[in-house]
Amino acid sequence: MNWSNLIDGELFASVVRALIPVLLAALGGLICERAGVFNIALEGLMLIGCFAAVAGSYATGSGYLGVLIAVAASVAVSAVLAYGSVTRRADPIVLGVALNIFGVGVTGFLLVAFFHVRGVFQNPKIIGLGTVRIPLLADIPWVGPALFNLTLIGYLALILVIVTQLVMFRYPLGLRLRGVGERPTAASTLGVNPNRYRYGAVLISGVLCGLAGAQLALGNVVQFSENMSAGRGWIAVVAVMLGRAHPIGTFGACVLFGFAEAFGFRLQGNGLPAQITDAAPYVVTLIALIIARKYFKRGIVSAVIE
Amino acid sequence: MTTELAADRTLARRSLAWLAGPVPVSIIVALAIGAVAIAIAGINPFDAYPSMVEGALTGRGPANTLQRATPIIGMAMALAIAFRAGVFNLGAEGQMVLGGLAGTLVALTMPGPGPVVIVVACLAAMAAGALWAMLAAVLQTSMGVPILISSLLLNYPARYFSSYLVRFPLKEKGSSMVATPMIPDGTRIPALIPADSAWGTALRHSLGKENALLLITRNVNYSLLVVLAVVALVIFVNRKTPGGFESGLAGQNLRFAQYGGVHTTALVIRTMIFSGAISGLVGVMLVLGSDFRLIDGALVGTNYAWTGLLVALLAAHRPVGVLVSGAFFAALIVGGEAMQRSNGVSSQLSQVIQAAVIILIVVRLTLPRWRRRGRDLPAIADRGAVDDEVGKV
Repeated sequence: MNWSNLIDGELFASVVRALIPVLLAALGGLICERAGVFNIALEGLMLIGCFAAVAGSYATGSGYLGVLIAVAASVAVSAVLAYGSVTRRADPIVLGVALNIFGVGVTGFLLVAFFHVRGVFQNPKIIGLGTVRIPLLADIPWVGPALFNLTLIGYLALILVIVTQLVMFRYPLGLRLRGVGERPTAASTLGVNPNRYRYGAVLISGVLCGLAGAQLALGNVVQFSENMSAGRGWIAVVAVMLGRAHPIGTFGACVLFGFAEAFGFRLQGNGLPAQITDAAPYVVTLIALIIARKYFKRGIVSAVIE
Repeated sequence: MTTELAADRTLARRSLAWLAGPVPVSIIVALAIGAVAIAIAGINPFDAYPSMVEGALTGRGPANTLQRATPIIGMAMALAIAFRAGVFNLGAEGQMVLGGLAGTLVALTMPGPGPVVIVVACLAAMAAGALWAMLAAVLQTSMGVPILISSLLLNYPARYFSSYLVRFPLKEKGSSMVATPMIPDGTRIPALIPADSAWGTALRHSLGKENALLLITRNVNYSLLVVLAVVALVIFVNRKTPGGFESGLAGQNLRFAQYGGVHTTALVIRTMIFSGAISGLVGVMLVLGSDFRLIDGALVGTNYAWTGLLVALLAAHRPVGVLVSGAFFAALIVGGEAMQRSNGVSSQLSQVIQAAVIILIVVRLTLPRWRRRGRDLPAIADRGAVDDEVGKV
């Protein structure tokens, strides 16, 4: 095993690639968390986004139309979550778990119905999202290829971290959203309709999970495979907990996950069995959560019943 | 006389109300959603659904349904006891996989008479599942990681660890299949009445080759009885023991249970141990009763853990409800596979219908006419906030 080859610029690029889908989903989960809706359907929303992106790109011949269709599909499913958890006051955990299982079933079913394949769907007619290279900046060693040679969704994700941070803590919209999450009665006394904000938050998480799915299925790879979100939506839920629902902190947690995935992949290339390295991101996430819980006694995550 | 009539009338009214309630309405709407999905696939649902019913209920259907229902009911029971106590165990899959792995190791290596080995394998599987579940529980009770997350994330190491062992150290040399060697004949869980036994041939002569009862006795193994025993045990524990009472109490109102002197930390750990043990037992029974070897990815691929979760939710964690809903969902799966063979509709339709049933039930879909207005939605801005306020007082 050659350890000196393990860390280089290419590793950073793959860290960024691995973290972007998780980051987008986590930002969606963060906004829901701040509005007082515990959203654990991120996994299913992302998977539906993956499928819709591939199907859309295949049907229209354009990767970006695929992204739009992914967003539309994911928002449609998130509307069910919004109606159930906000209007009908259903248990968001049960609803989220059921939506995740629904996502696995419906994408597998439609894969056979539309494309007559099982497992993996690859086709030259699926147009992926190319990367957009920013001249000069992309030539900076190490950082350049990692940060300035991304898909448009990739840039958007990184920008959204800052935008979310600003809106959440510097603008009235964010203040109201946090108010709705923390003291809904107080917010409604001040004329803020909590339900409207919660609907908005869940639908935005639908948009973000649609983008996450599109990035995963058209950006990182150009294919759909059954259950390809592979727990990333759950990792996003954990990232929100680790980041204590702060955009910057959540971003940090996503970097940790991206690093675990990319580094695991690298170790695999150096002879470690794939099964060991595949488990790495989940184990690293769990350990990080244990450590975080130890040092920050009371997390922000209020909706989780303990 | 009149009281009897009145009782009859309330019973009729009650069953009418039940029929208009969430469960039947959700099932019908979910089947309609399934019909739309079939139509999207370009097939006439009025051709496809009859072959689904036929596949689940005729010929080999009942035998296959019971065979599938066994692990589904088992997993649903494991989850139902956890949900009843308010413990959201999402790690049943990992607990089942490790149970299957531990049981396989025992069955492949332990010498001795078959039945003894089977019992030891089952005990080992229960221990493995219980330990993995206990790890998730301890992560919550002493590290503050919500059990929902800890149990779910632990699925992945369990899955990959078992996959690694099956791929490398345990793999049968020279076989094209990624699987362990076959389990010896004597350590397999036998069918209720094996086809080659004296009873089996006698039954075949008296009932005929295609008889449903004969097919059931041949294809369903003793796992069914074990699962039924587990259901009976859970009913007994829930109704007659202090532990069962406490767990039901904690599931309904944790704070009240604590106030009443229930040691909730111990309760969570105990519940997870039982839940994991049952999951592990289901895992080993699948290996010793159906596959006869541990095949890479087979236990995860069955999806029994997630189907069982949906069954437990549909049954609202009541054991008898688990039996009925488990059989229903198993019939959906067997029917879905028949539909795939005869109409070319993907069998994953069953999973779509099952998840849709739960989603619709959770959002409390009912016929609008029967809904009592003003009662089901509280007129407060946020129930959670009010609960918080009450909690502080």
